Amino acid sequence: MLQLDKVRKVFPAAPEPYVALDGVDLEVADGEILCLLGPSGCGKSTLLNVLAGFERPSAGSVSCRGAPVRGAGRDRVMFFQDAGSALFPWLNVEENVRFGLRVRKVPKAQWAGIIDNYLRMVDLDRHRNKFPAQLSGGMRQRLQIARALAVEPAVLLMDEPFAALDALTRRRMHAVLLEIWQRTGKTIVFVTHDIAEAITLGDRIGIMSAGPCSIISKIIDLDLPRPRDLADPAVARLFNDIERLLAPDIARAEERAAH
Amino acid sequence: MAERMSVAEISKGKPAEVAGRPRPSLAPLRNFAAVPGRGVLLTAGSIAIAFLSWQVLSTFIFNPFLIPPPLEVIRTAIPMILSGEILADVSISMSRVLVGFAFGSLAAIVFGVLLGRLQLLHDLLDPIIELMRYLSPTAMIPIAVIWFGIGELSKYFLIFWGTFFIVLVNTIAGVWRAPIARQRAAECLGANQLQIFVLVVIPSAAPYIVTGMRVAMASSFMSIIPAEILAADSGIGYLLQKSSMLLQTNRIFVALLTICLLGFVFDRIFRFLVARTLARFMSFVAVT
Repeated sequence: MLQLDKVRKVFPAAPEPYVALDGVDLEVADGEILCLLGPSGCGKSTLLNVLAGFERPSAGSVSCRGAPVRGAGRDRVMFFQDAGSALFPWLNVEENVRFGLRVRKVPKAQWAGIIDNYLRMVDLDRHRNKFPAQLSGGMRQRLQIARALAVEPAVLLMDEPFAALDALTRRRMHAVLLEIWQRTGKTIVFVTHDIAEAITLGDRIGIMSAGPCSIISKIIDLDLPRPRDLADPAVARLFNDIERLLAPDIARAEERAAH
Repeated sequence: MAERMSVAEISKGKPAEVAGRPRPSLAPLRNFAAVPGRGVLLTAGSIAIAFLSWQVLSTFIFNPFLIPPPLEVIRTAIPMILSGEILADVSISMSRVLVGFAFGSLAAIVFGVLLGRLQLLHDLLDPIIELMRYLSPTAMIPIAVIWFGIGELSKYFLIFWGTFFIVLVNTIAGVWRAPIARQRAAECLGANQLQIFVLVVIPSAAPYIVTGMRVAMASSFMSIIPAEILAADSGIGYLLQKSSMLLQTNRIFVALLTICLLGFVFDRIFRFLVARTLARFMSFVAVT
């Protein structure tokens, strides 16, 4: 589905250019959930922006279904952590979903059916006339999901979408996302710095090294049945292993942040 | 409103009394926040205080000729209102403000939206704008009179001038602050650059534009007066100027009160119209 080949991303900076990504190779299979896990500042978001087509790689190549990515495409929809700024606050729930249908020139006759379908899927159909400011944090993220699904993308790119939610709401969002994923079979690239979240959601976890010059240092296959219980010994062992794996990079990331 | 109860009251199920003696209670004061029509009462109180101190100042402390007492001013105002003199001056001043303000805002929004989007154009013109916006409408009066005479055109120009820079700077700021995430989200959903600009960036900038317009409206009220004092033969400013020449302090005070009232009423009308037509664009979503 998605393929990255030796992707480098360099940002101009003083006194010397900042190398965010230094040769990232990655292949995302059709219909899988790939979690990208790493310390803050490891270039996870940069990588996602490259996948979305918001940023062009400085070197290397990105392709989606064999076609090179040259910009934001209708097959890949990005999700943002701050739903407050990602949603359109002057449009109500229904109108937010309708936006994509309108700009993609979906025939008007189909709008009502599509909107109903996805609002029901995220359980927002009772709130269709509310504005984003009137919704809770979790509802706003569900609206983001419905709005994205309505344009029927093949890939969802999620940039720490639930990081700002409280722990209980976050758990509920994981269940919502997994259910939608099972029903729609979307390919999902999910960026997070939360090990438990990565284990709960992922088919595979890509571990990113601390920046600069980040790479995907390890890919872990999670051949564990869902739902995954963190109290389960196998899951707990995995959690500890990943934590140990990340420890040196977290220390490095902290050192860097402190200058 | 919920009943106020102390822990003791809750357990006893009725208000506690200390040794049969009624407690001195602050409840009436505390509950004032909930009195219906509290706003009206406070406004009335504020006006009453103002009139009272005005009366005291003019009769006991200063010369009543320099500060005519309120009743004297009202007595002067009534014939001015009945003869239509005030209304004529008010309407001519207001039409000047409205025309200048409307064109100034329109030009500033169009121009600001472009400058906010076209970085090169902005960087090229920004230094000039930064210098020119210190030329207040008052500073422009002498040259405006030479360019446009003392007729309506010079007043339109001056109000336009004052409005333009305020709304322009706010519009540019608003366009810049349209969240990147929102624009990218729109792009993912399939919007092209023009659609992102028209359907996302401009609505995102609306609160800033409206705020700029409100400030500009207040500033227009400030600048129409000197413009009319120095270069007009009608309007509230002209009334002030003429009364001053004739040492009619009563009439000066009538004009000053009129300006206060007009500014207040206009701001209310502006806010009402914004609430009616643009409410959905004015709601900021709290950052989650």
